[in-house]
Amino acid sequence: MKRVFTKLSVLTFLCFLFTSVAQAQNITVKGTVKDGADQTTLPGVSIQVKGSTAAVQTDASGNYAIAAPSDATLVFTYIGYTSKEVLINNQVTINVTLSSASQELEGVVVVGYGTQRKRDLTGSITQIKGDEIAKMPNTNPVSSLQGKVPGLTVVNSGTPGAAPTVRIRGINSTTTSGSDPLYVVDGVHQSNIDYLNPGDIESIEVLKDPSSIAIFGLQAGNGVIVVTTKRAAKGETRIALQSSAGVQKVINKIAVTDAAQFRKLYDNLLANSGAAPFDYTNYTANTDWQKEILQSAFQSNNSLSISNSGEKSTTLINLGYNTQEGVVKFGKYQRYVARLNEEIRINSNIKVGADLTGTHWILNSSNADLNSALWAAPIVGVRESETAYYSMPSFQRTQVGNPMARIYQNNGNNINKGYRAVGSLFAEIKFLKQFKWRSQFYTDLGFNNSRGYTALPFTVVNLGEGTTPTDRFNNPNARTSVRQNTDEFRKFQQDHTITYDTTFNNTHKITAVAGFTTIFESSTNLSGDRTDIGLNIPNDPSFWYIGIAEKNNPSNVNGGGAERSSMGYFARVNYAYKDKYLLNATYRRDGISKLAPQNRWGNFGGFGLGWVLSEENFFKNIKGINFLKLRGSWGTTGNGKGIDDNIFRPGLTTSGSGVFGDFIYPGVAPAYIADPALRWEVVRGVDLGLDLKALNNRLTAEFNVYDRTTKDIITQIQLLSSGTNLNYRTNLGSISNKGVELSLGWNDKIGDSFTYNVTPNVSYNTNKVVSIGNTTNYLLIGNGGANRTITGESIGHFYGYRQIGIYQSTADLDKMPRMPNSLPGDIAYADLNGDGKITPEDRENLGSPFPAWSYGLNVNFGYKGFDLLLQGQGVAGNYVYAQRRTAAFADLNFESNRLNAWTGPGTSNVEPILQKARGNNYLFSSYYLEPGDYFRLRTLQLGYTFKPNALVKAGVKSLRLYLSGQNLYTWTKTTGYSPEAPISSIIGGGADNGVYPIPAVYTFGINATF
Amino acid sequence: MRTLPKKFCIILLSITAISTITSCKKNFLDRNPQGSYTSDNYPYPKGSGPFDGEIFAVYDILRSYDASGSGFVAATGIRSDDADKGSTPTDGPTSLEMDNFSIIPSNALANDLWRGYYNIIGKSNIVLDKVANDKDPGTPPQAKVSAEAEARFLRGYAYFMLVRLFGRLPLVDKLYEDPAAQSNIPQSDPAIIYALIETDLKFAGANLPAEWDVSKFPGRATSGAANGILAKVYLTQQKWAMAMTTANLVINSAKYDLSTPYNKIFGEDGENSKESVFEIQATATLQEKRTYGSQFASLQAVRGTGIWNLGWGFNTPSTLLEAAYETGDPRKARTILYSGGTSIYGESVPTGLPNPRYNHKIHSSPTVRNSILDNFSYWMNIRILRYADVLLMYAEAANENGNAAEALDKLEMVRLRARAGNAGILPKVTTTDQDLLREAIRKERRIELAMEHERFFDLVRWGIAGQVLQNAGKSFVTGKHELLPIPQTQIDISKGVLKQNNGY
Repeated sequence: MKRVFTKLSVLTFLCFLFTSVAQAQNITVKGTVKDGADQTTLPGVSIQVKGSTAAVQTDASGNYAIAAPSDATLVFTYIGYTSKEVLINNQVTINVTLSSASQELEGVVVVGYGTQRKRDLTGSITQIKGDEIAKMPNTNPVSSLQGKVPGLTVVNSGTPGAAPTVRIRGINSTTTSGSDPLYVVDGVHQSNIDYLNPGDIESIEVLKDPSSIAIFGLQAGNGVIVVTTKRAAKGETRIALQSSAGVQKVINKIAVTDAAQFRKLYDNLLANSGAAPFDYTNYTANTDWQKEILQSAFQSNNSLSISNSGEKSTTLINLGYNTQEGVVKFGKYQRYVARLNEEIRINSNIKVGADLTGTHWILNSSNADLNSALWAAPIVGVRESETAYYSMPSFQRTQVGNPMARIYQNNGNNINKGYRAVGSLFAEIKFLKQFKWRSQFYTDLGFNNSRGYTALPFTVVNLGEGTTPTDRFNNPNARTSVRQNTDEFRKFQQDHTITYDTTFNNTHKITAVAGFTTIFESSTNLSGDRTDIGLNIPNDPSFWYIGIAEKNNPSNVNGGGAERSSMGYFARVNYAYKDKYLLNATYRRDGISKLAPQNRWGNFGGFGLGWVLSEENFFKNIKGINFLKLRGSWGTTGNGKGIDDNIFRPGLTTSGSGVFGDFIYPGVAPAYIADPALRWEVVRGVDLGLDLKALNNRLTAEFNVYDRTTKDIITQIQLLSSGTNLNYRTNLGSISNKGVELSLGWNDKIGDSFTYNVTPNVSYNTNKVVSIGNTTNYLLIGNGGANRTITGESIGHFYGYRQIGIYQSTADLDKMPRMPNSLPGDIAYADLNGDGKITPEDRENLGSPFPAWSYGLNVNFGYKGFDLLLQGQGVAGNYVYAQRRTAAFADLNFESNRLNAWTGPGTSNVEPILQKARGNNYLFSSYYLEPGDYFRLRTLQLGYTFKPNALVKAGVKSLRLYLSGQNLYTWTKTTGYSPEAPISSIIGGGADNGVYPIPAVYTFGINATF
Repeated sequence: MRTLPKKFCIILLSITAISTITSCKKNFLDRNPQGSYTSDNYPYPKGSGPFDGEIFAVYDILRSYDASGSGFVAATGIRSDDADKGSTPTDGPTSLEMDNFSIIPSNALANDLWRGYYNIIGKSNIVLDKVANDKDPGTPPQAKVSAEAEARFLRGYAYFMLVRLFGRLPLVDKLYEDPAAQSNIPQSDPAIIYALIETDLKFAGANLPAEWDVSKFPGRATSGAANGILAKVYLTQQKWAMAMTTANLVINSAKYDLSTPYNKIFGEDGENSKESVFEIQATATLQEKRTYGSQFASLQAVRGTGIWNLGWGFNTPSTLLEAAYETGDPRKARTILYSGGTSIYGESVPTGLPNPRYNHKIHSSPTVRNSILDNFSYWMNIRILRYADVLLMYAEAANENGNAAEALDKLEMVRLRARAGNAGILPKVTTTDQDLLREAIRKERRIELAMEHERFFDLVRWGIAGQVLQNAGKSFVTGKHELLPIPQTQIDISKGVLKQNNGY
């Protein structure tokens, strides 16, 4: 029970009286050991006389008695707590409080090339504890950050193994890769943390303000997520097991018409189009295609850690296994992770260590097409037999395949495997008391391997329509084929730092660090496929290698590579005067290979000031406030992430070919128009904050306000609007993001045994394009014109007509503004410029795909070993474009909203007539937008922790069992599987084109230590 | 270990680190693209022409979906009275908008066409820029002239398509010093566009080879192709004398004739025949069934099931076209493929297909389909300019110029072949009355070039589009529907610099 809330309390310190008695005789020392946070007694604490084997344990009331030399030292160790050494010094009563290990860490945050006390920070850094991540049954640890960090937007995907989209404090770039944060895992710069075992993470820090991220240079413009993996706890041998297993289920299907409803609407559509009725004679089925492609799916997350910490060395071994089946048939993701961490203290000044993580993943990607399950007509059955599947009716036969034939034809025919080894070696030397040299070398090697097979299609059963009889067709032109693909990634990084740490006169505390770093990355890939014209390659993985088909068969081989590097020098000084006035200054000089030599180096930096008011004398009289700090910071950094390798060079594409007769000649064209003067994006901003602890530390509050501008944003201009072939990428314009963030925490207890805490957070961000290509009179459109980016408005906003109703009659057309070809049953749009007609000038900003508001709420209750966790998260202020409803390339199944389609005056003022040739109704408008606001009950978890003394005899030190439900309910007005429409595209985001469902997950889990 | 001197350790570490830093500092940030060329290191082939790579990239766009796909078929065929939209009644609403002239500026096919032809123009400008800035003294002057001529042919052709489709256009005829400046250029009047087209095609006609080595470059643009298109440019502007002169250059070149029987012109074995003046080239291999081809044929091909699932069945011959043939004209059977009928290859077409008639001219050979193992006919060339077209252009221009005898002569050449030896059909036209002969030539053009992307442009340049298309039951508005709307997307990107066409 204690462990549930100890992490939320603050450090307290005991003072000991020292008396000097210089005698060494055995005395009996007695005392009680208590939890530093809630002062409850701790049973089972081991007390050892340092340097001897004499040891005892505290009893059920936390009391102990031990015989020891009067000048000896007692070592108190307890699982989950930081061990403590106390010099006996002739005392006969020694009462000790232990603080929980995680609580200890809470005071310290990782800031990049070092750590800092949280109370000394001048920037905005949010820390999430490893156990909060381990508690969540997510395979990807980033998913667990959703709703916990103000200013952090996480858009999850339900696809097994997929990484979420992460944005920190708004949108600072126009490119997808240019908007992702930098991940730093134990010092290694990474673009994702897919390879980590969520159970093996000690903490995650999110660095948000420019002064905090400036130390990371050109990769850090969008913020930094620093991940620290676990280390062995001091002074003990520990085995920890975390295991959970559960089932995922899609609880909100998209409402589409069933067979009877479909027939009604399709008849209506044909009649409105002046077409003959469809002959349904043979189409008697009523298939729910979504039900067919979806399944209840199993998932399990397991982590086993074995650690030992001794005098000279510490060792940690972690094994992880995660598996997640897809809720869409038959995807499956499995991941094995093993990590070994070893540190050896050669002497008190020299430490060396190594860390090695090996990851192996296996992905069977689903062959399902979510959209085809929404599009396929429900009047068609699934299959006639195991090998004969019905085709769709003629009106969609060419465009929509049988969704289940697609799944089964190549089920299990893609074997994707990945191997990744991330390792580091370091040496650390302390010298001249205050100095510390640390050199660390990292490598990250990845090998991905896939092979696959295309099977012969099933027999297609074309049901008869009209005078055409039913026929069964086996495509005589179909052949089997095999493919193989291999990718290799390599990264080498080195960091060298000198740290100077000192305190003068107990008033001036200085920490300075200077260093040098380089990163080199390269990759190669090779892929090929071969179709066997003569033989049918068997449907058995043993044959799925290109060599199985004779060389003369048609085949394709491809290969490529990439190389990039970066280098940086950096320095940082932290200064604190009497823990009261804080100063932080950072500098980095960084260069990247992506840019031309004359443009590649830049200087970045920041500084911050802090004032701990609660340390001032005048504050001592203010009751109720335990800690109050004001802070402010300014920083400038670069964003080089969105820049493609070698983009400054005049790159060529050789993919186009000239054909003359049957002769084929390679063409060559510029891949883009190069801008040799291309530079990185410059990110600058200020951050002001307030940290508060009050009412006996029960209330904590953190408030930030920020203003950040990205200048010289890299903008892609389509020359002659000719598609992708003549793009010119250059630095044009700037974007501003301003926002506020507030997080609160309240920890308290009622009586002795009921504890609770409530930690809400909320953030607001407003985004504005300050300028974009003003010199060229330019704007950017995304997603075919649904999104627009223009000076003075928010980036990538939806731009279109606003629906005011439906024209009910010709009388309506006469009196209302309309388009030249508007007809009754069409959508009536607002005449914004009041010229009496509807023209393209009547379009407006219809809202942003990016939420302005994000909020989260975490509530914990504890009662006598039981704990209950409630976690919710939501966004507000954005819109989702239900683009999947605009598909008109064939006659598709209808979503249920179309049941209300206009059929005559007074029938609907929202849903237009069923008639696809009325192009006006397919113009982008508010009709296709849905408010993106949602609140999701992310986690509901009930746990029970057994009393330690009940388990000691079984060799178990602690044991917690829990039941957890994830994504149990979502309050939303969107109609898709999930309100979390993709926002990975910046200038064309927020469109729901078949978002993978976010399933509800029901899990049982166990956490135990031995 | 304990005895390891601290100082030694520090020194060792420092040396390691410093040497690592210094050794890699010099070139550490210089990284070359891996596995891809830049224009600085591309090993341009010697021999066939140093600019060939860039030129081939333009040909690549010619057969692309943007330039030769649904937009092309809908704008040149479905808009006319010769073809219906086809496919299923509710399929392809953007094509239907073209068919019944309910087209609005958001029409995606119009945007495809704009992008496709401007892509050709942009890539042609790249060739011209490279020729103009070629500093290599080893480049043969003839290679430069030839490359310039070919690029200007392709650019001229693209502008000719665009000006007929959209009217007023932004004129871009070079690469700009500041690339961004090229992004937003206001429109010019058609007269200015036509002036550019004429100078481009004249240069191409004068400097392209009359023929290419057919063992290497069958179907590559020739002076005949440039002059043939130029003749049509003049015809479109009603510059009759110039049209005659230029068409005559093609006729007198002696590279083309009517020896190919009408029913052999359109199949795979008729590609690049003596009939062919300019053809967009496409091919397919067992491995690459689509990459080197065009979707042009597939999107019009028979929309059946099983082995008759050849395509989408758009652009189907109309009953009006069917009725326009003279009795016994054998060209009808080569133009219209009937559901329940027989194909040129002897295949029995199933009954009960979604459309009663399909475009027979793009129907591929079953032999080729079975050898490529693909039904979707991406390998079919697109006949852009045939010799019969040149003769009929000459005839039309001659008649307008008052030279009936010349007109009748060329008209009879076309009709003679059409008879295929059957003297009892397609009687010789003998009238010398200018109006009657004009009607005869127009009718011959319609029939000879049916389903070959000429009809709509012909109706517009004859000034009878409104009358004919309204009679065909289409809601054509004269003064508006001769042109497509400027794509709204393009107007949006231009921030309003581009202005919409009249009536939209």
